[in-house]
Amino acid sequence: MTSTTFHLTPRTRDVLVAQIRAAGLPPRGPFLAATAVVVLAMLLITIQSLNTGEVIAFHPEHQMWSGIVGLLLPIWVWRGEERFGASFLWTLPVDRWRHALAKVFAGWVWLMGGVALFVLWSLALTLLSGGNILAEETLPLLWLAPFTSPTATYLLASAFGLATRHPLRWIVGSVIGFFIVSRVGEVVNAMWLRSVLALLESLVEGPYGLDALLTARTTSQALPDVGQWATATLLWTGTGLVTLWAAASRHRESRRA
Amino acid sequence: MSGGNAVTTHGISKRYGRETALDGVNLRVPEGAVYVLVGANGAGKSTTLKVLMNLERADAGTAEIHGLDTVRRGPEARAQVGYVPERPDHGYRWMMCRGLLKHVAAYYPTWDHPYADRLSLAFGLRLDRQVATLSKGESRRLQLVLALGHRPPVLLLDEPTDGLDPVVRSRTLSLLAEHLADTPTTILISTHHIHELESLADHVGVLRDGRLVAQMSRDELQRTVGRYRVEIPMGWQATRELQVAGVRANGVREAQWTLVGDQRELIDRLTLAGAHVREVQPLALADAALAFLEHEVTR
Amino acid sequence: MNLDPRDPRPLYLQIMDEVRRALVVGTLRAEDPMPSVRELSSQLVVNPRTVSQAYQELEREGVLYVRRGQGTFVSPDVRADRRVVAREVAKRALLEARRSGLGVKELIETIRKVATEEVEEPLVPASSSKRGDGK
Repeated sequence: MTSTTFHLTPRTRDVLVAQIRAAGLPPRGPFLAATAVVVLAMLLITIQSLNTGEVIAFHPEHQMWSGIVGLLLPIWVWRGEERFGASFLWTLPVDRWRHALAKVFAGWVWLMGGVALFVLWSLALTLLSGGNILAEETLPLLWLAPFTSPTATYLLASAFGLATRHPLRWIVGSVIGFFIVSRVGEVVNAMWLRSVLALLESLVEGPYGLDALLTARTTSQALPDVGQWATATLLWTGTGLVTLWAAASRHRESRRA
Repeated sequence: MSGGNAVTTHGISKRYGRETALDGVNLRVPEGAVYVLVGANGAGKSTTLKVLMNLERADAGTAEIHGLDTVRRGPEARAQVGYVPERPDHGYRWMMCRGLLKHVAAYYPTWDHPYADRLSLAFGLRLDRQVATLSKGESRRLQLVLALGHRPPVLLLDEPTDGLDPVVRSRTLSLLAEHLADTPTTILISTHHIHELESLADHVGVLRDGRLVAQMSRDELQRTVGRYRVEIPMGWQATRELQVAGVRANGVREAQWTLVGDQRELIDRLTLAGAHVREVQPLALADAALAFLEHEVTR
Repeated sequence: MNLDPRDPRPLYLQIMDEVRRALVVGTLRAEDPMPSVRELSSQLVVNPRTVSQAYQELEREGVLYVRRGQGTFVSPDVRADRRVVAREVAKRALLEARRSGLGVKELIETIRKVATEEVEEPLVPASSSKRGDGK
C-alpha cells in the first residue's frame, strides 16, 4: 500500500474568493425578485424625476442609509453559521480566527459593491436631471462618506456578532436596561446618570459622534464639517477594527471556550 | 509499509458542567485501519471526533492527526480529514448542492472533481437542488460526498449511516469499501450500528461513560472475547471473581457465557471453581465488541 | 460470493473458502479472471486489505496467479481441492453434532441415511443445485 500523502491547507486567495462567493446573493427566485424590485424602483424614480424636470443635487453626505445597511449586513453574512457551535465554517482547514476575518472581509466587499452601484446611480440621476454633481457646499472628499460610514458600522456590528453568543439578547437587554436605569435615575435624580446620558448623547451628536460619521454632521448643522467627519471616520473605523480583531480572537484555534 | 498511528489522543478529558463526557481517552488508530468507535448514546463518541476537529476543546490532554496537534496546528490537521458531523442538517441551506461542492472544493487543493461527481451520482444526489430541500438522508449523503471528495488521508465519520434507509446504507458501505481500495485512508467511524461494519472494521474501540474501556485489533478482540459453553454441577455458584467477569447463571447444568479475558486463564478459573468448559467459540466482531458494553470488565 | 456475517472465523479464510467452493462447484474455472480487489471488497463490503490477504494466500497456494497489469486469474493447472472443502464441511457438521450431544458414528450413519432418502425424494431440485451459489 502506498503511504499517504500530506494534504496542504488552501491558499488564502482561494478562501477569500470562496467566502466572497458564499456571502453573495444566491441565484434563486426570491432574491432575483428582490433585485428586480430594486432595479424597477430605481428606474421609476429616474423616469419620474426626469419628467418633472426637477434638478436633483448630489449630496454624498446624505447617504445615511448606507450606514444602516452596514449595521445590518452581518446578519446576512453570518446566516446559517453557528458562530459558537460546531459550525461548518470551523470544520474547514483554515485558522478559525483568520477565517472569521475572511468572512467579514467577504461581506465588506459586497457592501462596497452595493454602495458603489447606488452612488453611481445617484450620480447618473443628478447628471441626467441637469444637476451639478459638484454642489458648491460639498467637498469631493465627502464622496467617500457613503463608503466609510457603512464600513465603520459594518465592522462594529460584525465585531459585536462575533463577540456575543446571543447578540439579539444583548441588544434587547441593553435597551430595557437603559430604560429602567434612566427611569430609576430620574426618580432618584442621580448625578452620575446625567453624565452617562451626556456621554451617550455625545456618542451620537458629539463632534466625533455617529452623526459626524454618517452625515458629516449635516443633520445638526447646515453645512457639512469635513474635519469632524474625517476624525469621526478614523475614530469609528479604528474602533471597529480593534474590536473586530478582539472579537475574532474569541474564535482562536487554541482558545479554551 | 507505513507504521505509526494516523490518529492519537493523549488522555483527553472533557466535562460539560458536572457531566463527564470524556475521561482520559487514549485513542490509537493505526494508519490504514478501519477503526470503529462503539458506545451507547452519550458515551462520548461525538465529543471525541469533535475534539479531533478542534470543534470542542478538551479540558485536558492533546490529540494528533498524522502527528499534527489538533489545536496548535488545527488547520493543517483538518486538511488531512474528511469529516461527517453528528448532525445531518447543513448550515448552508440557501446554496445549491453543486454550489456547496464548489465552495468546499476551494478549501481542499486535492479536491477530485470527477470523483465527487461520480460519488454524487452513485448516491443518487441531484446537484441542481437547493440544500434546504434535501431530506435528512440526502443531506447525509451530501456530507459523505463532501468528506470523501478530496480523498483525505483520514476520515472521521460520526454515525455516517444515520438516517439512511437500508438500501442506501449498504450502498454507502460498499462505496466506502471501494474508496478504501482506491485511496489509502484511515477511517475512524463512530456508530451504534456496529453489525453493519462487521466485515469492514479491523479495529474496535469501546467507549463507556466517557472512558475507553477497550481498544484492540480484530484478531486481538476475537482472542479476548469468547463464548464459553460450560457444564456445571447442580446448585453451582459462581465465585464473586467470576461473577464480575460476566458469569451469571447458576443452578443449571449447562450454561453459555460471553466472557472477556485471557482464554486459558478463564478456563483455569472456571475449572478451579468446579465447572467444566466444553467449548470456547470465537465471536463475530460486533458481538465481541458489545460484550464490553454489557458488563464490567476486570482487567 | 457471499459471506456469513455470523461466521466468527477470520474473513480472509472465509473468502478463501468461497473461492475453493466456487472451484468445486464449477462457477470458477482455470484461467477465469477474478474480480478485482476493489470490486470484491465493494460487493462483499469487506475491507480491501482482507480481500488482498485472501488473494495473496490463494496465490501462494497456487490457486490464483497475477498477470501483470491485467489482474488476478485462476491458475491454469488448478485442481479443485475437494478435500479441503470437504474437510471444512465435515468440521462444521462435527461441531454442530457435538453441540447437540451427538457422537461421530451417529452423525455419519444419519448422513448416509438422509442421503439415500434424498435420492428418492430430492430436497433441492437437481438443476438449481448444479448452478450453485454464484451470484
